[in-house]
Amino acid sequence: MSDELKLINSAKSGSVDAFTELVHGYREGLFRFLLTRCANHADAEDVLQDTFINAYRYIETYNPQWRFSTWLYRIAIRNAGRIREDNVAELGDVRDDSSDPLAHCIAEAERHNLWRNAKRLLSDEVFTAMWLRYVEDMSIRDIAAVLERSSSWTKVNLLRGRRALEAELNNGTQDPGSEAYG
Amino acid sequence: MDNLAKQLREDAANIDAEISVELDSRILASLHNVTPESAKPRPRVVLSPSFWWASSLTGVAAALGVIAIINLDRPGSPPLQVQEPVAHFVVPELDLEVEAAMLTSPLAEELARLQADLRRAEAAVRDDVRIDF
Repeated sequence: MSDELKLINSAKSGSVDAFTELVHGYREGLFRFLLTRCANHADAEDVLQDTFINAYRYIETYNPQWRFSTWLYRIAIRNAGRIREDNVAELGDVRDDSSDPLAHCIAEAERHNLWRNAKRLLSDEVFTAMWLRYVEDMSIRDIAAVLERSSSWTKVNLLRGRRALEAELNNGTQDPGSEAYG
Repeated sequence: MDNLAKQLREDAANIDAEISVELDSRILASLHNVTPESAKPRPRVVLSPSFWWASSLTGVAAALGVIAIINLDRPGSPPLQVQEPVAHFVVPELDLEVEAAMLTSPLAEELARLQADLRRAEAAVRDDVRIDF
């Protein structure tokens, strides 16, 4: 039995220490991803906290057929979507770039960061697919499971996302916006 | 790894995602207030003795009924015909360590997701039409 599975079993029986050890390696990557998905830093913190609470509470529903990170990201994306719906319901769809957590988390010298362009060019789902593929090294099957999409959709939209970003990188003449829907 | 993939990875690493001590302790405190569903004690169902007796008697009565029906309806047993075996093969016992392959479930999942994609695309088209007209 792998160490991760042992920790999962201990967490299932109510060990907070085992769960904390289990998610320790995923915390930073997950938080980094949430900073790209949430409207502000505080929301990203709240979603991270909710994700860990939900994962711990319902850990018995985790299916070892999937990677643990796949399951964790799925919960995080649902929580991020919920908090966004709450914000839209309360404030309306107000997009204020000054509160974009990415703007604060990327140093001044790194403002050409491709992920900022990706956020501007791609839909949320395509952005997430690209992130899971190129940052988290997830397989197409895992990405499809996280997004609750088909593998075909995932492949096609990863390709579109790539094309859009490559066009942006090369300052090509092609309109990247036309490729970036999803 | 191609250039785009490399740059995406590097740029992701440049996003500062340090988890503050406050957030860390907040998460830990909230985890201590949660009990996993799997660790919660299951409520015991206490049944009265009369319920036990009633269910046992019902079971016995049903079993007797089935035995009676089988025995009453049975005609004279047909003569048994013994068939000569055509050939007698000895199949060597193979000690294989194999896992059952799940051949259909991934396809079924993929089909369900494709159907979900189609529904979403239809909804998007319907929304666009509503916006345009």
